[in-house]
Amino acid sequence: MDSLGYLMDGFAVALTWRNLLLCFVGCLWGTAVGVLPGLGPLAGMALLLPLTFKLDPTGAVIMLAGIFNGAMYGGSTTSILMRIPGEAASVVTCIDGYEMAKRGRAGAALTIAAVGSFVGGTISIIGLMAVGPLLADAMLSVGPAAEFVLMLTALLVVSAVSSSPPVKTLAMIVLGLALGTVGLDQLTAWPRFTFGSLDLTDGLNFVALSIGLFGVSEILLNLDEATPVVPKAPRLRDMLPTAEEIREAAPAVLRGSGIGFLFGLVPGVSHIISTFVSYAVEKKISKTPERFGHGAVAGVAGPETANNATTGASMIPLLVLGIPAIPATAILLSALLIHGVQPGPLLMSEHPQVFWGLIASLYLGNAILVVLNLPLVGIFVSLLRTPMGVLAPLVLVICLIGVYSLKASSLDLMILVAAGVVGYLLRKFSYDVAPLLLAFVLGDRMELSFRRALTISDGDYWVFVQGPAARVFIAVLLLIGTLQLAAMLLGWRRTGAAAP
Amino acid sequence: MSNRLRCAFAAPLVAAVLLAGTASAQEYPTRPITLIVPAPPGGGTDVFARQIAEAVEPFLKQKVIVDNRAGGGGTVGTTVITAAQPDGYTLGFIWNSPLTTSPHSLAVSYTPDSYASVMSIGYSSYVLCTAPSFPASTAQELVDQIKANPGKFTYGNDGLGGTMQLAAERVFAKLGAKVRPVPFGGAGETARNFLGGHVTFYGGSLPPILPHAAAGKAKCLLLTSAGKNPALPQAAGLDDIGLGAEETVLWWGLIAPAKTPPAILAKLEKAFMEAASTEKFKEAMDKQGATQRVLGAKETGALIRSELAALGAVAKSIGIERKGQ
Repeated sequence: MDSLGYLMDGFAVALTWRNLLLCFVGCLWGTAVGVLPGLGPLAGMALLLPLTFKLDPTGAVIMLAGIFNGAMYGGSTTSILMRIPGEAASVVTCIDGYEMAKRGRAGAALTIAAVGSFVGGTISIIGLMAVGPLLADAMLSVGPAAEFVLMLTALLVVSAVSSSPPVKTLAMIVLGLALGTVGLDQLTAWPRFTFGSLDLTDGLNFVALSIGLFGVSEILLNLDEATPVVPKAPRLRDMLPTAEEIREAAPAVLRGSGIGFLFGLVPGVSHIISTFVSYAVEKKISKTPERFGHGAVAGVAGPETANNATTGASMIPLLVLGIPAIPATAILLSALLIHGVQPGPLLMSEHPQVFWGLIASLYLGNAILVVLNLPLVGIFVSLLRTPMGVLAPLVLVICLIGVYSLKASSLDLMILVAAGVVGYLLRKFSYDVAPLLLAFVLGDRMELSFRRALTISDGDYWVFVQGPAARVFIAVLLLIGTLQLAAMLLGWRRTGAAAP
Repeated sequence: MSNRLRCAFAAPLVAAVLLAGTASAQEYPTRPITLIVPAPPGGGTDVFARQIAEAVEPFLKQKVIVDNRAGGGGTVGTTVITAAQPDGYTLGFIWNSPLTTSPHSLAVSYTPDSYASVMSIGYSSYVLCTAPSFPASTAQELVDQIKANPGKFTYGNDGLGGTMQLAAERVFAKLGAKVRPVPFGGAGETARNFLGGHVTFYGGSLPPILPHAAAGKAKCLLLTSAGKNPALPQAAGLDDIGLGAEETVLWWGLIAPAKTPPAILAKLEKAFMEAASTEKFKEAMDKQGATQRVLGAKETGALIRSELAALGAVAKSIGIERKGQ
């Protein structure tokens, strides 16, 4: 039987009324946790994991994958409406999504995000099916040295397209890297900057930091104004994107799919990097880069597509190697292990109904989600009719509850509030906080990869140009670096022009 | 459902008891018990905690609710457990690391006197694996290779100063061998880097490497448990190379705040030991590659103290000990 035949069998598994219901419940719950700030795919899946003990392994992974997918869809909602990232992968969407909402285009932004997510999700599942096993081997060749070079590249790409002047961007990156050093150092077991707090040994909480820097700071900024510029609630006919917006979004969606899929193969923080890189690429190739940061459609379409395309790709290491590359797939792994199903090279032959049932349900989940999310656009947008005086405190409370629900840690609440105040001040002085967050996420892993690589090579720096993966990434890094330098010397540098 | 019903029936009783003052040990438990798990939902410890909570309910005739308090490698949740009311209604389901490993590198506020060990359910061994091309096919040949090439090989582990790394160093120290540790974020990440050829040895728990051993991509040669494991018949236990006394494994157990009344502790020990000894629970452990080995309060307490001392000595010898324990 060829893989198409297996896929048909998979659909037969996924389309039983019970599995379809599980997929739907997963998608619905995923959308809900994605929308709520704080709760992301990880918390959403973990909360329902005990329920899956009672299901068969296929049903269990179908439901959990539905949550994972749903959270990626739902995450964009609060980013666009209130500038609060619903989960980490939606941080970038805050930038232009919220600007679109301010211009009365919230409906269009949400629709584009939902459709883009659908396309990205579907393309990545096709990719998973077609080239998954091949890519898994390529993935293994990415060791600590190559990982370091890749993250350095990502940081360079993103810093090159920030909307603040280069000096301010650099300052934000340094601050982000510095904040990333807080916590227990994995390579020496020394606690760093924890001041004796056991809570801080895990480092600063990313969710608290991102919601504070983006969401809380936005609320504070609004308090500043006598008449705050809040998103306008659009009329019904403004819900759909215009023809021009669609023309702008379509190529961004396709590029986002490719970027998301490729980065999904990189372990660790792939879903966050892919959105930043997609945004950077869109801005770089746009004919009107000055519109980025002021409601550029491609700035929403690209990253939102990319984070969903990452989902399919991140299943590859789990299903083909039995190794979860990101925390959310680690939950899927434990759901399978509870039932005695060990994913890995033998999964496809030993448990074909699990493998193909999951693939088929990923297709169905994407379809369910787009059907589920489009009508919700109208409901979400009508939230904007709530007066700011009511909405702002409500949102603040939801943020606090969301962050507290993660670890029941009062320290996280303090981080949230402090990040809000710092974010407010930074934005007052027109610093872009997005590079700070990316540097924070990458910094910790970058340092670890760097030191791991040197541990492996016993201090030999040539390790960074050894091995095929490291060489490819070094070449890309040099290429981008040279182009950037050349553009700067020749005065072609268009970025920075968009500084407010 | 029946549990929920039981809860509903218990509610008036709880109110009555609260009004009447503290319940005596004979009546215990009269209300639901909170089981704190110092790990995030979804990991091995969490899964066992939820399964034992469900298994023990018929024995205690009360609902047992799992409360995840992750952070600091389990030390945050363990601190919460040791500081809880010693009334038997807040217990902790832990793995050994926050009790016997973390105290060497982190300034934790608890010692073995801060909690009462109630029982333990069993263990899971760590294993050392090599690539198929590595010139060793038995544990003894592996030991010979390591001894002959000091500092040449690298082994991936779950984090420096973590239980897995100390377990390996404990063996290496006895052998007088030096292998360079490369810490990763967990066994999955270690497996990926091992399969990609970035480190010489895989060091970590069994589940991530089992499918690759079965597919011939890894040769698993030495366990950190004294005995062998049926899932990896080709791997030797430490007994086989004469180092059985140096066993360090990942194990799970139940603790309670130190001043919990002895009568309540005895009741808990009995109920949880019975729950952990059921065939269904054994199966659940098998599926996760763990071995059922139900120990009572006394044995578990002794295990904690001896392991704390042994790992403290290892931590000191490799220079990661932070304070005089």
